[in-house]
Amino acid sequence: MIDNKTLIVGGLIIAVLIGVVAVFFASSDPDGLESTALIIQGGKTLTGPTPPDAEILENMDGKFAYLAPMPDYSLGEESGPGGGILAIVGGTLLAFLVAIGLIYVLRVAGKKGPPKANQ
Amino acid sequence: MHVPDAFMPIWQGAIYWIIALVFVYLSLRWAKNELNEEKLPLVAVLAAGIFALQSFNLPVSMGTSGHLVGGALVAIILGSPFAAVFILTLVLTVQGIMFGDGGITTMGANILNMGVVGGFVGFYSFKGLKAATGSMPVSAFIAAWLACVIPALCAAVELWLAGTFPLEAGLVAMGLYHAVIGVVEGVITVAAIYLIVSVRPDMVDKGVLPAKAGAVA
Repeated sequence: MIDNKTLIVGGLIIAVLIGVVAVFFASSDPDGLESTALIIQGGKTLTGPTPPDAEILENMDGKFAYLAPMPDYSLGEESGPGGGILAIVGGTLLAFLVAIGLIYVLRVAGKKGPPKANQ
Repeated sequence: MHVPDAFMPIWQGAIYWIIALVFVYLSLRWAKNELNEEKLPLVAVLAAGIFALQSFNLPVSMGTSGHLVGGALVAIILGSPFAAVFILTLVLTVQGIMFGDGGITTMGANILNMGVVGGFVGFYSFKGLKAATGSMPVSAFIAAWLACVIPALCAAVELWLAGTFPLEAGLVAMGLYHAVIGVVEGVITVAAIYLIVSVRPDMVDKGVLPAKAGAVA
């Protein structure tokens, strides 16, 4: 059994390594939902390969448009794999910190809340 | 299976947001009552791990890739479907806001599919299968597979209601692709459970441990 410090450090190292490996080795094929959209739009067949130039058409009429700061887990094409690594490592650490922060806030809020008997 | 903003009218996204928020509220209440300082490291590491694994798309043939969803893994390890809602909500929020993976108006639908449906299907199918078979790996594999396929079918129905996918073609394609992706989900889920149980059995829900160890823990 390992202690909490080792769990956190080891767990974060594994998560970051997965993210870094993903930058170089993740498949460029569309995911299941995107592949389904391509089939519906005539861009591919159910079991066939995805053409390199296949593109999902997005009808944004009446839809909400939002531009994320790091779309597609990258800092832009010009930043190369380094930008991808920074984006994924940043996201991994952000997920970790948000989890800790949220639990901390919930615990503090729980302690400072009024006694249940008075509610 | 992250639904983008373009695939769903805003008003339908709002309905899924409202439903999802009920479960998010319940998951926050679960976290407040069940998560103490002892479990904090595992929950935070799981959040980081799920984020990283979701960014890693593996080829699954048929010109398609897939990644871990993680709802079953989290729910099984922490012993509650609300654990999956809690962690998947914060991971999907980071993904949607920072990386544009999944929409903003559709985030409620994504939380509902991957967190709520994935978490509940994963947890209760694992519980039932473990009671029936007594085997953790078999139960976790099947539970994780179901927790990948059923949310995908839910997404297909939602996108049919949104007018984006025809019902039959959507169900067939989403079902087929996620049936294959679910195998990856099952393998990674079982491997992750073994890893976590081997390093911190004290933090894992007793339902995951062998009967004898669970009784002692």
